[in-house]
Amino acid sequence: MNGYRTIRRSAAALLPLSYALVGIMALSGCAATATKDGQAAAVSPDDPYEPFNRAMYGFNDTVDNYIAEPVSKAYRYITPQFFQDGVFNFFNNVRNVDVITNDLLQGKLQQSGEDSRRLLMNSTLGLGGLFDVAKSVGLEQHDEDFEQTFAVWGMPRGPYWVIPLVGPSTTRGIPAMILDAALTPTSYTAYPVQVAVASLINTRSNAEGALKFIDEAALDPYVFTRESYLQWRESLASDGKNTQGTDLDAELDANDAEASSSPKKPPEKIPAAKAASPAVSSSPRTVAPVAEPKPTAASAPPSFAGTAQSFDATAQAFQGINAKLDRLSKLKNGSAH
Amino acid sequence: MIVFKDVLKKITGAVVLSALLLGSAVAEEVATARQIVDNFQAQLVAVMKEGKQLGYAGRYAKLFDAVANSHDLTKIARIVVGKEWEKLSEAQQQQLIDVFSKLSVASYAHNFKEFSGETFVFDSEEETTRGGVVIHAHLTIPDDKDVKFDYMLKEKGSSWRIINIIANGVSDLALKRSEYTSILQRDGFDALIAKINEKIDNYSKL
Repeated sequence: MNGYRTIRRSAAALLPLSYALVGIMALSGCAATATKDGQAAAVSPDDPYEPFNRAMYGFNDTVDNYIAEPVSKAYRYITPQFFQDGVFNFFNNVRNVDVITNDLLQGKLQQSGEDSRRLLMNSTLGLGGLFDVAKSVGLEQHDEDFEQTFAVWGMPRGPYWVIPLVGPSTTRGIPAMILDAALTPTSYTAYPVQVAVASLINTRSNAEGALKFIDEAALDPYVFTRESYLQWRESLASDGKNTQGTDLDAELDANDAEASSSPKKPPEKIPAAKAASPAVSSSPRTVAPVAEPKPTAASAPPSFAGTAQSFDATAQAFQGINAKLDRLSKLKNGSAH
Repeated sequence: MIVFKDVLKKITGAVVLSALLLGSAVAEEVATARQIVDNFQAQLVAVMKEGKQLGYAGRYAKLFDAVANSHDLTKIARIVVGKEWEKLSEAQQQQLIDVFSKLSVASYAHNFKEFSGETFVFDSEEETTRGGVVIHAHLTIPDDKDVKFDYMLKEKGSSWRIINIIANGVSDLALKRSEYTSILQRDGFDALIAKINEKIDNYSKL
């Protein structure tokens, strides 16, 4: 009976939860130019819907340029630092209900105890979460959510998606986001949308440095965002133990073999547990979490082809919006620019 | 989810570190993998400490050797373009190595410009199944979360060289390879070089 209402509230709460959105938005800046004729030569197995995703990335970037960035700049300009810290701490604290739930779902009993103490302390001594007092007694904020739980349970990740206004996600991440929102207490306040907006501004404001970094470092911000997002999620799900294969190592050897034309060593089979070192695990194609079999493109059912076509149409519509926004802002600013 | 921003920060750190690592190697044949990393980190921190006085050009000059002596830039450049390497002419390969090296140093020079109490801490060392060594370390930043750094090294001649830096689980090499191969396949070699040069140019002006 209440299901529908819960879903609506959850949807509203989605935005505050998707902190990742901030990063995504900012990253999308150069994507539009990179798409060039809308075709990518080689399809990444992680990203079979790249043309669609690039369009969404471009759209998010436009929204970021015209709305999120100016708003977050104004926010930082008019509010004192202690206020920004309080807002940041508050949303971090609220998130802990979801964190504790996922601690338990992943069997991390001790961590769930620590996180519960953290939530209790900050909600009481920390005046409803405005102050992070738990940190001073050594209780660090953990990062758990349903997407990680699903990964731990062995659910395949599925393709990469860029969601309008939300940012990067995966097929596994989308339902997880809704569950995370449902477990965020602010979703159930009288003003879930307003809270969501506040959370977004907070997130965007905190992501400023990261976004700037991407701008400076990325040759192709879309690819940069995608790869770092997928690797980062993978690393979170495995708690830094990153059990990807040793593809990089194998590739290095192959490279050596080609270079020196020495006979190629037969690739050794390395047991998954042995491959646990993060350093050895850097093939972008193997970012699949721990117990994950082999998701992504290969497993995409053929019916996706039709869906992909309709995505193209949607993508074009979003590109149209971008162009319109650009023209509008040019008109408005007229001589200013 | 909140952490994407942190991740980016870490990536930044990693990228910077990578650059640093290249430079600090003692260049002595006897240097172990760990010494290479330690030296590079020490040189990086030293440059950060006098970052302001040095200015961008000064940092770049100091870091160039530090990076070149600790990283295998030729190998990194080759891996970063994947199979496309074979399709490049020898002149193009040399050009790629050249601009790629400059970009690596430039990014360190830009990102490691000031010091606020950061320290590198060695955690452990591990041999990979293929004769590589991974140095696990972390960077402590006052009032901030630690950043985990894993350096992957391979033997080169009689010494060791860094070929990848993984910051908080994000591999610099993998990230770059995705970017570079994607640009090569879509826009071609000249566009890639132009983009790299543009980035180097930006770093020098920021």
